[in-house]
Amino acid sequence: MATEYALRMGDGKRVFLTKEKIIEEIEAGTADAADLGEISTLSGDEIDKLAEILMMPGKAVSVEQGMEVPVTHDIGTLRIDGDQGNSGVGIPSSRLVGCMMHERAFGADTMELGHIDYSFKPVKPVIANECQAMEVCQQNMIIPLFYGAMPNMGLYYTPDGPFENPGDLMKAFKIQEARESMEHAAEHMTRDMVWIMQRLFASGTDGVNFDTTAAAGDGDFYGTLHAVEALRTQFPDMYIEVGMAGELVLGMHGELEYDGVGLAGLWPHQQAPLVAKAGANVFGPVVNTNTSKTSAWNLARAVTFIKAAVEVSTLPCHVDMGMGVGGIPMLETPPIDAVTRASKAMVEIAGVDGI
Amino acid sequence: MPIAHIMASGMTGIRAAGDLVARMEFSKNMRIGEAKEYVAKKVGVDTMDLSDEHVMREIREELDIGVITSVAGAAKGIAAKMNIEKLLDVKINSCDLFRKQIA
Amino acid sequence: MASKEELIQELSDAIISCKKDAVLAAVEKAKEVMEPAEIIEKGLAAGMNEVGVLFERGKLFLPHVMMAADAMGAGVAVLEADLPEGSESKKLGVIVNGTVEGDVHDIGKSIVSTMLQSAGFEVHDIGRDVPLRNFIEKAKEVKANMIGLSALMTTTLPGQKEIIALLKEEGMRENVKVMVGGAPATQAWAEKIGADCYAENASEAVAKAKELLL
Repeated sequence: MATEYALRMGDGKRVFLTKEKIIEEIEAGTADAADLGEISTLSGDEIDKLAEILMMPGKAVSVEQGMEVPVTHDIGTLRIDGDQGNSGVGIPSSRLVGCMMHERAFGADTMELGHIDYSFKPVKPVIANECQAMEVCQQNMIIPLFYGAMPNMGLYYTPDGPFENPGDLMKAFKIQEARESMEHAAEHMTRDMVWIMQRLFASGTDGVNFDTTAAAGDGDFYGTLHAVEALRTQFPDMYIEVGMAGELVLGMHGELEYDGVGLAGLWPHQQAPLVAKAGANVFGPVVNTNTSKTSAWNLARAVTFIKAAVEVSTLPCHVDMGMGVGGIPMLETPPIDAVTRASKAMVEIAGVDGI
Repeated sequence: MPIAHIMASGMTGIRAAGDLVARMEFSKNMRIGEAKEYVAKKVGVDTMDLSDEHVMREIREELDIGVITSVAGAAKGIAAKMNIEKLLDVKINSCDLFRKQIA
Repeated sequence: MASKEELIQELSDAIISCKKDAVLAAVEKAKEVMEPAEIIEKGLAAGMNEVGVLFERGKLFLPHVMMAADAMGAGVAVLEADLPEGSESKKLGVIVNGTVEGDVHDIGKSIVSTMLQSAGFEVHDIGRDVPLRNFIEKAKEVKANMIGLSALMTTTLPGQKEIIALLKEEGMRENVKVMVGGAPATQAWAEKIGADCYAENASEAVAKAKELLL
């Protein structure tokens, strides 16, 4: 009987596969990415290397010595003190303690301060609190410390915001009205994000991390790129990272452009040049995990997309590798074997500049 | 999970030289190879040494750019970052703010 | 004269072009050769399926999906007069769709509603952060064949399970299928709570709804 190796499904469940089946899954995963993104599949050597990583006997694996990359930690200190059930472990502690634990106990290469809601819009009413927290943290921290939040343009639509919900308008075939609503929302979101980061930069932040950009589609991406551009003009030295929400920019509007390029339907390798053009320093490409597929399929697909982005990008690429992205299972407690294999594959095969 | 990534792929921050390499990526858009070369040259080590706790611990103490354990009298926070500014020839926003506040 | 295959292709292409005029012209042409039911099924509906695929592939966008659905509706309206009595085109099924209470995420659920509507289902999108009981009441009111439950957070996911329990309490479970979705939902979760299906994305939601309701 052929040897079987313990892998994972996209939902984290253990699955046992033979080497032949693993290769078959990798080939299917890389082919899917290549087909969608119109990019190259992984080469034969890369497929073999990925299979080798997946079949390594140790529970945890790691990159070869000398190939280490900075690991930037997003979602702020919420992992420590967050107790809303899905992001944090609920240890009562201040955000300063959370930041310093990441720097001094966990060995993070950069860190991020974030608001418990983690969207930009709700930061406005508590901006003084955020500035104060940033100032205290910057006094004590050595590693780069960002302010991070999600653009989350959905918060600008009814019933959360002032603009009519484009989803409802679309369903009523009011397409032009839906588009106008998205344009207004994007404009307000840009204004809010710039306003918030002006204040946090004055309080000493090293920079900003736009997390899950384009979650609300091309309008969300449009608003964020304009915020990046405005911040870069005002603050030449601000560190700016743009992390995406998924591999594809969904076309909710369909006609928005940045620098003459339509934003809807862009894949990671097409997103990267626009993020650079807007003035960001680091691009954070994302590929979502399909929970019904194996880790071999998911990782091959993710590595293929990310490798293409890394190749064309003029900026360092820090791939997003949290729960349910970057080939990592969609599970609150992602298995260490799957996380470390995905980590190693992204560095050694996709060639990312950071995680 | 972040700890799994740090153990698998990270440069381990101020345990070694991860913060310094990250600063060059973010401040000058340097790709990983270039950022490592730049920092290694400034620090006077091989790129391989940038993730080596044994090498970097001593260097961090000598340059007074912050160490991971609590060493009495060693530069911490803003003080360590001001030394990093000089070492890497970069500006750090929180140090600028501090200078403005004491001017 | 164009062959039947060419006419079917023309109908499908007209839908993909998202242009109502093109669809109506193709329907008029096809009527001379094909039965109305065949025009709808093999031409227009097949075109809508392709529109769904192109949306998932980033080649067409939500406004296009809506324009194509609008054009298909116009084409079907023209044909309905010619359908034999008693065989008027019917909705594929009635679906109540929403995001469960405590969860304000709206966009993914709205895309699913739009795609289901475009595919020919009668969809009642009851919004986001919807009190669980409202799903039951709405399903009763519109005589739903299916309830779609979205949740984007692990903290709100249990709402999907509670709605299935409510359906059982009301004696409705036998007649109402349940589809679950959203980032933290998985096939295993669907099986665990006794849902009828899990959909990974909008096009899968359409395919699975058809599988269960047709």
